[in-house]
Parts: sequence; C-alpha cells; structure tokens
Amino acid sequence: MSALDTASLTPVAGVRTSRRQGARSDLSAKLSIALVVAVLLLLVIYPLIQILVRAGSAAGLKTLSGIFTSAVNRRILLNTVVLGSLVGGLGTLVGFGLAYAQARLQFRGKRLLHLITLMPIVSPPFAVATAVITLFGRSGIITKGLLGLETNVYGLPGLVIVLTLSFFPVAYMNLLGMLRSLDPALDEAACSLGAGRLKIFLSVTVPMLIPGFAASFLLLFVETIADLANPLVIGGDYTVLSLRAYIAIIGEYDVAAGAAYSVVLLIPGLLVFLVQRYWVNRTSVVSVTGKPSGSVSMITSRLGRIPLLTFVVAIAALIVLIYTTVVVGAFTNILGVDNTFTLKNYRYVLSGIGSDAMITTSLLALIATPVAGVLGMLLAWLIVRKTRRLQGVLDFAGMLGLAVPGTVLGIGYAITFNTPVIFGHRMFLPALAGGGAIAGGALAIVMVYVIRSMPSGQRSGIAALQQIDPAIDEASTSLGASSATTFRRITLPLIRPALLSGLTYAFARAMTTLSPIVFITTPKTKIMTSQILSEVDAGRFGNAFAYCTVLIVIVLSVIGAINLLVRDKTPQQRVRATQERTDTPS
Amino acid sequence: MKRTVARNLAAVVAAATLGLSACTVADPATPTDSSGKLSGSLTVACGAMEDWCKAMTDAFTKKTGVQTSFVRLSSGETVARLEAGKASPEFDVWHGGPADGYGAAFKSGLIEAYTSPNASQIPAKYRAADGSWTGVYVGVLGFCSNQAKLAELGVAAPTSWNALLDPKLKKNVATAHPSTSGTAFTTLWTQVTLNGGSEDKALDYMRQLHNNVLQYSKSGTAPGQTAGKGEVAVGIVFTHDCVKYRESGMKDLKVTLPTEGTGYEIGGVALIKGSKNPAAAKAYIDWSLTPEAQNIGPTVGSYQVLTNPNSTKDERMIDLSTVKLIDYDFDKAASAKKALTARFDAEIAAQPKS
Repeated sequence: MSALDTASLTPVAGVRTSRRQGARSDLSAKLSIALVVAVLLLLVIYPLIQILVRAGSAAGLKTLSGIFTSAVNRRILLNTVVLGSLVGGLGTLVGFGLAYAQARLQFRGKRLLHLITLMPIVSPPFAVATAVITLFGRSGIITKGLLGLETNVYGLPGLVIVLTLSFFPVAYMNLLGMLRSLDPALDEAACSLGAGRLKIFLSVTVPMLIPGFAASFLLLFVETIADLANPLVIGGDYTVLSLRAYIAIIGEYDVAAGAAYSVVLLIPGLLVFLVQRYWVNRTSVVSVTGKPSGSVSMITSRLGRIPLLTFVVAIAALIVLIYTTVVVGAFTNILGVDNTFTLKNYRYVLSGIGSDAMITTSLLALIATPVAGVLGMLLAWLIVRKTRRLQGVLDFAGMLGLAVPGTVLGIGYAITFNTPVIFGHRMFLPALAGGGAIAGGALAIVMVYVIRSMPSGQRSGIAALQQIDPAIDEASTSLGASSATTFRRITLPLIRPALLSGLTYAFARAMTTLSPIVFITTPKTKIMTSQILSEVDAGRFGNAFAYCTVLIVIVLSVIGAINLLVRDKTPQQRVRATQERTDTPS
Repeated sequence: MKRTVARNLAAVVAAATLGLSACTVADPATPTDSSGKLSGSLTVACGAMEDWCKAMTDAFTKKTGVQTSFVRLSSGETVARLEAGKASPEFDVWHGGPADGYGAAFKSGLIEAYTSPNASQIPAKYRAADGSWTGVYVGVLGFCSNQAKLAELGVAAPTSWNALLDPKLKKNVATAHPSTSGTAFTTLWTQVTLNGGSEDKALDYMRQLHNNVLQYSKSGTAPGQTAGKGEVAVGIVFTHDCVKYRESGMKDLKVTLPTEGTGYEIGGVALIKGSKNPAAAKAYIDWSLTPEAQNIGPTVGSYQVLTNPNSTKDERMIDLSTVKLIDYDFDKAASAKKALTARFDAEIAAQPKS
C-alpha cells in the first residue's frame, strides 16, 4: 500500500519540486555568474581601464606617441618583439624536442627527464639568470675558468638563453599533452600507405601539432615581453619595453609614462589570445580525436634516436648544471671568486627579513591557490554548461589574467588600488595596495595571485568538462538537485584531477610570480621573488641562490602536500579502503 | 688602548644624548604609553647596505622596544614609493642614502622638517638648515676596480673621469641608473659641477660614458659587486662600498679617486610626512645621530665617515682631508634632480651604444 502511495504521489511531487528546483537552479547559476563577473571586473578589467585612462591622459599620450615617433623608442619596440619571437620560437622548439622524446622514444630515466624538464616551472625567474652569469659570464666559471673564452653573455644572446630555459617547460607541457592524445591510427594508416618514419613525422605529426606550436609560441612570446627581471640582470644594453615601464614607475613614479608603456605591451598580449582563441582553436584537429585508441610505436631507428637523445641529454644536462650551481652557490661565499664553504647565505635568508618573506609569501599563495582553483573551475563550468550568450566573453575575460603581461597588471594594480575606489562621493573600496592599505597591502597581492592563477584552472576545467557527458548533470538535476548541488556533488568530483593540476600549477605560479608583484609589495608584505630581485640586482648572488633553493623546496613540498590531500579523497581509493577494511578479519 | 678610550667616551656621550632624547619623547602630544615609553612599530626606508639597515633597526628595537623594520630601497625608489603612498605613508623614517634625494622629497612635500635636539652635535655643513634632513655619514664617490680585469685589458686603474672613457674599457664600466640610485645621481651631479653647472655638458659626458657602460643597475651599490666578480673592470661607487666588498672576499678590488675632484654624499635621516608613529620616528632620528648608533656601521663592514665628531674613527674610513672634493651644492642638486634624471633616462639610458 505504501508503495502504491509513493508511486502515485512521487511523480506529482517530482514535477513540483523539479519545477521549483529549476527556478532555483537558474538562480544559483545566475548568482555564480554574478559572482564571477564581479570578481573579473574588480581583479582585471577595472585596473586595465585605469591604465587606459592614464595612458589616454595628455602626458600619457605624449609618451605613447613618442614610442612610435622617436627612433630610439621604435628600436626598443623592435627589440621587444625580436626577443619575444626568438624566445617563443626557440622555446617551442626545445619544448617540442623534449616532448617528442618523452612521447616517442624508449629510454631509461624517462621519468627523471620529465622532472628535470619541469624544474624551471617551480623555481623563481632568477635562478637561471644568476647561474648563467656565474657559469657563462665574462668571468664565468666555465667560459673563462675552464675554456678561457672572452664571451659576453649580456644582451640579446644571454637574454634568449636565459628566457628560453626559463619558459620552455610551458611549451613542453602543452606539446606533450597533444602528442599523447594524437591518435596512433593516423601513423599506422600513413605507414601502411608506405610512408617512412620521417615522412610520417613531417606530413602527419607536425601538421597535427601546428595549433600547439602556435599556442606555445604565443604564450612564450607574452611571457617574454612581460619579463623584467632578466632584462634588468642580464640585459646589457639590450633595452626592452618592460624595463622602460619599470624604470618609469619605480624610478620616476611617472604613472602616465608607465601606463603608456603598458598599453603598448598589452596589445601583443591581447592579440595573442585572440589569435589563439579564434584561429588555433578552430584549426585544432587534436581536440576532436579524444583518447588514443591504439598503442604508439616507438622510434627505434638509430638515425632518429641518436640526434634526438643527444639533444635531450644536452638540455637536461644544462638544466642540471644550472640548478647544481644554484645549490652549490648557496653554500659558498662568492661562487667563482671565493669558493669557501659557508652557511652565511642561509643564515641571512632564514633569519629576519628572509623568514618574514618566506612566511608571508607562502601564506598569501596558500590563500590564493584554492580561491583561484575553485573560481577557475566555477568559471569553466559556467562557460561549458551554463551560458550560451556570455560564453565567449566570460572565457576571454577569465583568460585576461594570463593574457595581460604581468608588468601591466602590476602597474594597473598600483594605479588603481593604492587609493580608495571612489565613485561620486561614495567610497566603494578602501585602498587595497600599498603599505598604508588594509592588511598592509596583502589583499592586492592575493588578488594578483588569484587572477594570474585562475586561467590555468579555467583551462584545465574546460578541457575536463568537455569530456564529461552533460547527461550526468541532467540526471542529477532531474533527480532534484540544484545547480549548486550538482556542481558540488557531481561536477567537482568528476573534474578533481583537473582541479588538482590546476591547483598545483596555480601555487607554483603564485610563488614564482615577480613582474606584477614588484609594483605592489609593501614593507609589511615582503614577497620572496621581489626580495630575490633586490639581492640579484645588488649582486649578492649567494643570498639569491639561498633564497631560490628555499623557494623551490617550499613549492615542491606544498605541491606534494596538495597531491596527497586531494588524492586521498578520490572515490576509488575510498572504495579500496573500505574493501581493505572489510577484507581484514577483525 | 686609544680605541677603548674613544669607546668609553662614546658611551658617555651616548648616555648623555639618551637622556636628552628621553626628554623629547616625554612631550605630552606624542603617543606614549602610561609609563612614558615609546610603543608601537616603526618602518624605516633604508638607503644603505642591507646588513647596515638590519643592524641599525635591530639595535633600535632592542633599545626601545619599538618594533622597527626596514625596507632597503634605492634613493629614487624611495621617493617614488613615498609619492605613490602619499595619502597613507607606509614609512616613518628614511635613513641612509644621499641627501639630494631627501631634498627632492622635501620639495615634493613628502618629508617633514624635524630638527633633532641632537642635531647640534653634527657640524652645520652636514645637515640641512631647514631641518629637512640631518647627515649621519659621509661617503666619497670613487672607482672600484678589479685589478686582474684591468691587467687583462691593459689599462691602469683610472685616476680621472676621462680615463673612464678609454675605448679599451668598452662595456667594462658598471654604474647604476640615476632614476633609481642616489649613488648614480651623485655621479651625474658631480659631472654637472665639474662642468661649471652645465647640465648639457654633464649629459654629454654621460653619453660618452654610456658606450663603456655594461648595464645600468637599479641599486647604486651593485657596480662594486659586478667589478668584484670580474664581470666588468671598473664600478663607479662610493668608496666605502668598495672597501666592504673587498673585506667580504673580493680581494682583488682597488679604490682609486679622480684627480679632477669627486662628488660625495651626505647620508641623511629624515621624518616622513604623515608618519603614523611620529614619537618613535623622532626618537629614532635622535638616536641615529648619536655615536652609539653611528658606531654600529663599522661593526657590519660599513666604513662611511661618521658625522658625529664623537663617533669612533676607523682606519678603513677614508680621510676626507686627503680627498679633492668638489663643491657639491646639495640644495641645487635636489631641485634639479627630478628633471635631470628624467632627461638622463630619456636621452641616454635607452640609447643604443656605438
């Protein structure tokens, strides 16, 4: 009888609730959209508008027109573009070489090679530059000491080497992912049609990867033109725009000029992402193939293996050499000049200012990481599942955090949040950046971390969501769950791996970010990367090396901890744990 | 023996001045706790070497219980930061770094005039008449050369400004950017003075020097390090910084001075306008002028000439009477600073080298 009751009642109730739920689900989706839009407006769009306004002022326009009319400034512009293109091209090439070896070669120590390749991602931007000066500088241990060469590492060559080594892992990760998802059936088809390995490589593999090459090139291009640490340390007389913007703000406090330089830097940054979105994505063949179906046949011919392996080993050796220099340099008085063993660098870094910076930086990055991760996932979910009209706009706005060069973002924050935000006569926000701001300016730094890290969560979230059948969501909704509940109970667990990789990358990125930070760090919020910058600039490489190793250790341990924490709760493991518990006789 | 006497004397003077400063602090308008002691925290923008800054602020914290922290900033950076945070300053005191920057900041309304009761101990030539800043040390601009590198290039250690223009020194001179560094601005203003006050001629000289400069660093102390590591042959720095690097292990460094005459800095101390803890800030300034505070410098390898005649002398400090100093007009330099550095930045720093 009770069964009959429920049977007769349920559909009615079900309809009723689902209707109500439908309304509510709409509401929660709308609320999330409102939240995300508000965050994006505050964190990235408003500072950008401020930059445009300042650059559009009389003084700003004067600098702006000067950039294009004076021969010197045109040269600086050209320098910037040349550097960006060289690093973009070379970085993509190196990244591809290593990714290809990783995906298509069989050799021992593959996993180790993978870890070595990723080292530059978890280390601050100066580790490479300082080590390169110590090793290959004019009095470099290798160039001068071992080979007796007179080399000049300062200027374009040095910058290209240092920036390529710092940024190529981004290209490596992109291309490795693409190579692994290439359908081996295509190779097999080409092979059975009589194509040789080289022919397959040139006419199947490479064309399929063109979108990946383009994306990597553009990403590295933007990272390079935004970088200001390396041009300051190893740039020699090769002047680039970001350095001009830096001196304008840090030395002269000429906001108008800083904003004007920023606008010029901004254009290629935005262009890159428009191109990537509308050209690369459209021509992408890879995204439709899904999971690979067969097994990849590895390259066995010596003709292919030997040159590729030599290249891979050479790059890996260079990276190992650089990080060995960092570690050894941290324990020596002045590496290359006075090689006595000392602990004073660590004493300096771990006491006083150094430990302050360590704690503050880690804390702020730890606060920002989950916020960025969850916001990124939320944004991905809204883009893929919840909006049609706003889709493109939201996606683009979310990616702005990455598309806007760091230097520009930092200057935008300094201009916007150093004073309270006032419209009419009402204060909407107190000052968020600067030493006099609330929380000593820490909030602005967290905001920068969030907006810089969010896009990686958003990207991996979108990629993951596109592979999950919407029917699962619909099932949940039709069973009466609201949008919010569905997101929390269904979507989030399914995209957990994406969330995990988003989180780890977000944390590493936050900890190693410099370009935006130098403009908003304050006496109360000392940030490690900006501390390292002053050590490097002042020439105290020993302290800088010690800082770098400490930072790398922090990043690696937190990534390890995130992996443990998030992985512990995966459904399979819970099931396995239960099974084990039932298996063990009590 | 002589030194212990001096130290005892210093201690006596210190004790006396302490009594004096204690009086200033008792001013009812200043925020002190019930026991009349200083409280709260203090942030110092410090323009000297990091370890100097740390030793100073640590000593003041220990002495007064005021939590004193510092940020090491180059001169131009400090002015920029003060300008950016005008509405709500993040610093209370500016300590160390050439006085020209202080003068410029005072003219922009970023510094508040404060004449410390201890200022009378400092010779009048080492402090501003309007109380905008008081000198704590004097540093002389010089050349810091890597002797091995010079020998390699076949160049003698430079003894004149013109010697730096030697084509053999191409990309072998290190100096800082005057927009950020006070040291580099001292170099620039020295040229103005040596050229009879002509900014154009000074910039002409800098333009020629530009061809020999490897790169412009942000901080003025860096060129000494660059020379010490052998990345360049000569760095233009204050001689005390060169001595410090030599003591820390770069044994090949050698100090020389230009015969035409050289510029010098008076390292200042000043009160930031709008300081949130003015009582403690003033106490810090009072203290920084005492031999007790000034004698901390040499303990961390900073051998600037100290402005308080009662501070201890060290043989590693430069003897000012043996140096040909130019007539450096700090007031004029301060007025000209902003426009001149902007000109340098636009007309020289970004120019290609020939």
